[in-house]
Amino acid sequence: MAEPQAMYATDEYGRPFIILREQAKKTRTHGVQAIKSHILAARTVANVIRTSLGPRGLDKILISPDGDITVTNDGATILTQMEVEHQIAKLLVQLSRSQDDEIGDGTTGVVVLAGALLEQSEALLDRGIHPIRIADGFDRACVVAVEHLEKISDKVEFTLSDTSNLVKTAKTSLGSKIVSKEHDKFAEIAVDAVLAVADFERKDVPFDMIKVDGKVGGSLADTTLIKGVLVDKDFSHSQMPHSVRDAKIAILTCPFEPPRPKTKHKLDITSVEEYKLLREYEHDKFHDMIKRVKDTGANLVICQWGFDDEANHLLMQNDLPAVRWVGGPEIELIAIATQGRIVPRFEDLTAEKLGKAGIVREVSFGTTRDKMLVIEECANARTVTVFVRGSNKMIVDEAKRALHDALCAVRNLVVDNRVVYGGGAADISCALAVAKAADETPSIEQYAMRAFASALDAVPLALAENSGLPPIETLAEVKSRQVKEGNSVLGIDCMGRGDNDMKKQFVYDPLISKRQQYLLATQLVRAVLKIDDVIVAGQAEE
Amino acid sequence: MQRAMQPTVVLLKEGTDTSQGKPQLLSNISACLAIAETLSSTLGPRGMDKLIVSERGDAQITNDGATILKLLDIVHPAARSLVDIARAQDAEVGDGTTSVVLLAAQMLKEVRGYIEEGVSPQIIMKGFRQACQLALDRIKAIQVTVDKKDPESFRSLLLKCASTSMSSKLIHSEKPFFSNMVVEAVQCLDQEDLDESLIGVKKIPGGGMQDSLLIHGVAFKKTFTYAGAEQQPKSFRDPLVVCLNVELELKAEKDNAEVRVEAVSDYQAIVDAEWEIIYRKLEAIEKAGARVVLSKLPIGDLATQWFADRDIFCAGRVPTADLQRVVQAVGGSVQSTCSDIRREHLGTCGRFEERQIGGERYNIFEECPKAKTCTLILRGGAEQFIEEVERSLHDAIMVVKRAVKNGDVVAGGGAIEMDLSAHIRKHALSIPGKLQLVMIAFAKALEIIPRQICDNAGLDSTDVLNKLRMKHANGEKWYGVDVDGLEGVRDNMEAFVWEPSLVKVNAISSATEAACLILSIDETVRGPQSEAPSTGPRAPPGTAQRALRGRGRGMPRR
Ligand SMILES: Nc1ncnc2c1ncn2[C@@H]1O[C@H](COP(=O)(O)OP(=O)(O)OP(=O)(O)O)[C@@H](O)[C@H]1O
Ligand SMILES: Nc1ncnc2c1ncn2[C@@H]1O[C@H](COP(=O)(O)OP(=O)(O)OP(=O)(O)O)[C@@H](O)[C@H]1O
Ligand SMILES: [Mg+2]
Ligand SMILES: [Mg+2]
Repeated sequence: MAEPQAMYATDEYGRPFIILREQAKKTRTHGVQAIKSHILAARTVANVIRTSLGPRGLDKILISPDGDITVTNDGATILTQMEVEHQIAKLLVQLSRSQDDEIGDGTTGVVVLAGALLEQSEALLDRGIHPIRIADGFDRACVVAVEHLEKISDKVEFTLSDTSNLVKTAKTSLGSKIVSKEHDKFAEIAVDAVLAVADFERKDVPFDMIKVDGKVGGSLADTTLIKGVLVDKDFSHSQMPHSVRDAKIAILTCPFEPPRPKTKHKLDITSVEEYKLLREYEHDKFHDMIKRVKDTGANLVICQWGFDDEANHLLMQNDLPAVRWVGGPEIELIAIATQGRIVPRFEDLTAEKLGKAGIVREVSFGTTRDKMLVIEECANARTVTVFVRGSNKMIVDEAKRALHDALCAVRNLVVDNRVVYGGGAADISCALAVAKAADETPSIEQYAMRAFASALDAVPLALAENSGLPPIETLAEVKSRQVKEGNSVLGIDCMGRGDNDMKKQFVYDPLISKRQQYLLATQLVRAVLKIDDVIVAGQAEE
Repeated sequence: MQRAMQPTVVLLKEGTDTSQGKPQLLSNISACLAIAETLSSTLGPRGMDKLIVSERGDAQITNDGATILKLLDIVHPAARSLVDIARAQDAEVGDGTTSVVLLAAQMLKEVRGYIEEGVSPQIIMKGFRQACQLALDRIKAIQVTVDKKDPESFRSLLLKCASTSMSSKLIHSEKPFFSNMVVEAVQCLDQEDLDESLIGVKKIPGGGMQDSLLIHGVAFKKTFTYAGAEQQPKSFRDPLVVCLNVELELKAEKDNAEVRVEAVSDYQAIVDAEWEIIYRKLEAIEKAGARVVLSKLPIGDLATQWFADRDIFCAGRVPTADLQRVVQAVGGSVQSTCSDIRREHLGTCGRFEERQIGGERYNIFEECPKAKTCTLILRGGAEQFIEEVERSLHDAIMVVKRAVKNGDVVAGGGAIEMDLSAHIRKHALSIPGKLQLVMIAFAKALEIIPRQICDNAGLDSTDVLNKLRMKHANGEKWYGVDVDGLEGVRDNMEAFVWEPSLVKVNAISSATEAACLILSIDETVRGPQSEAPSTGPRAPPGTAQRALRGRGRGMPRR
């Protein structure tokens, strides 16, 4: 390849001259060679996370430069932490992140699929097919596949009282994660949490209303769902009662202290007399504030700011349990949950503005002296908190991630209850459909379409391989059964249950998740195939 | 363009040729050819993209000529004039920025031999200008005009122009979808002045490109909110909207003021006065009847909660451009005090809503009575993709806008260039002397467009060009390159590869001017300032990458 001459011209006397700034430091590759090297880079990344796909997929331990350890099976997390340097490989990282943002699950699968598509296109490039025609063919195939997905999709029925199908979905999503031994519990939690906040009419699941908190200690089995709010604070005075029934809560964003102007001010105290006056004034103010709170009938104060020991003591004496230094987001959650109003100053406090909760209690954990406040039986049941426990930080973190996937999986079903069958069943069925469409296509695109069909096999192949099954044979057998029986629910039996019927095994993926995987992977592959020239500004050597 | 025409002193960077006369001219030509060579692979429906990584480590993927040249950071003075024409083409008509550069460079290449032989640049320039005039007249003579009166066929004209401009881009496979979107967006605008800046563009990463959507109104991302915002209503019908440039926060009224407090009991009075000030503002807003309150400046937690208690929606720190678009759409004006808000200061819209799009929440104003505006919400699997989509849509919007103004079109895919080439050649034969040679060189240069489209598509360009020359000799004036079929050529007017003739007019005239400009430079003088480093203070290399590192994903905050 005559690469340099492009950026580096010579005049008729052979003297070189510079056209670009810092030309010497820019590196550049282009042409088909460049496309191939990009494909290689992308495939390398895809291969790394291929082994974590599926219920028998392995976890990865990632150690950051600071020595932080992350154990995870989540594709998006692995890729983000891998610190990929290569420009094209970075696109894969973004790809799985967008799957994560939008759907929350399937972040490994999408990269595996993109890697397989790129592998296939390499062969096509070798046969001399123009990269853009390959991309066009993939696009056509993708349209066929997405249409086929809709055709084979099934509706998952559920009601508020019968949630068994949702639980099964959550279990599938948790199947590949560290929490799998507790997956009954986690699945129940995920379903209950989503159903508690979901708005079925608008098909909207406000994730803001689900708070996921975690603390090291205990075991995964101690993880609980709190139908209410959990605040990482305790009552301000140790002699206050440890629980309040039928709480009427004053939610304050003003401190328990004499009001101070925001304008700069100066008060000269020149005599003992004046000092006494000031003390008295402050004392009166405290009493006044407490009286105002009590007058509204409140029996609990939640305060965004602090108060000093004197105020604390007074509160205790007046039987007014209080919590201080509660953060803004928690204040908001408490207000929403208890249907109270956030009150900015004592003058504005009225009985209607109080929040109501059945019980507010302190809970403590194991041997630690940490305490937390649980606010339950709230006026508005649509706020929940999941409290994750685990023996160390790595497990708690990974459990939170797994839970996030499960929450997303359930949410996706609430938003759109169509599913396709997992374990590669849908992929195999789409592969068959695309291959059939390819046979009916007269133009060059047919080759790319067939390649797309082969790439779809990557997911079942990886699933089989990760489960210790002979990949090719297993796939071939399932595929031929799908053709023979015309049954699109047959997939890879990863768990060795002796049954390939994914419907019976309750392994399914939301339709929107699969659809998005196909669309995103195809889009990425088009972009990669279209780039024939990478120009990198060099870094000055220093 | 005019401005770039007479550079008196061209600044030089190290490495630039300081020779004079012919050698200088020839070396300038080589520089331009090198630039064109870099761009050439991006032309046409099978054009490829470039991934350009800046010094700060951020990557851009693009097919747009103007963008590539901008990112390449070209310092060669003669070559920079190519950057200028690409930019001018981009501002003027949006599309055709690659073509214009290739044309200019090819014109220079075709006459390089004559320069070496000692033909005066003046003659070449004269010949180019004559040929250019011939070309422009010819376009006027043969362009096809679509009647605006028939909305059906006019719309389909716009769709075709939009999709031709998209055919070389990443969104190629979604052409029908995006053409519709672009045409609809342009038709939302006031048809008299067609101000494309009223088309807002918002990018939300995630989702497929085909999940992009057009909103008939204004949309902007939910701003930072304080506790209490979730208790506000999130959807209204026919609300009054007030746009403010007022900070709604409890704070010291004047920063440098200081009050002397005589006795402790005065404390309360001052505090009350402070509260009084903010409450008065809030009450004034409520009394004016506003249900949606927007402000450029922060709206604090106190105000947020106060509004929540009264079922009013508020958003603070709204970016200026967004607020401006809201005002234009809903009417009213931006208020800088709350003291005298009257009905005419408020705007209104049919529907206001906070809605989830992808992973983000958006504030959306629809059915706006005043200005006609719309917002494109772009989706895509990676930020770079979305940015490229935005650039491609910009091209298409500009093209459609031009086409709305005058419905004249020509056929693309090299058809018009082949026709002009044949026309000029025929005409040149009637002119004696060197001028004839120069005009023929110009005619040859025009063939670069079909030739490059073929080369990029992997077709045999010599063969295709021969076929095209034959067709055009027989008067089949709309025959151009067909990258899909086996023949390699087809009637591109019938195949609906349409482009507004303005794109071509502009491209050919700017390319000619640029070529002439470069031919007129025979000496470059190094100005004293050019020694100074031209870029500002630079961050140490790799800072950006380092800063990005080790952040981890953490738990998504939801
Ligand atoms: N019990 C099972 N039997 C067979 N296949 C299963 C089973 N459970 C899950 N799968 C399949 O495993 C795949 C999901 O694997 P996994 O959860 O590791 O990756 P992902 O969802 O793509 O990415 P991530 O969860 O990391 O975001 C899906 O294709 C699903 O159908
Ligand atoms: N379907 C098609 N078949 C043949 N040629 C086409 C087709 N669509 C577009 N073209 C031609 O491709 C050329 C445009 O290519 P491209 O969009 O890459 O460059 P540009 O418009 O000059 O610059 P840019 O879009 O980067 O500003 C035009 O000559 C156009 O006529
Ligand atoms: Mg998963
Ligand atoms: Mg274009």
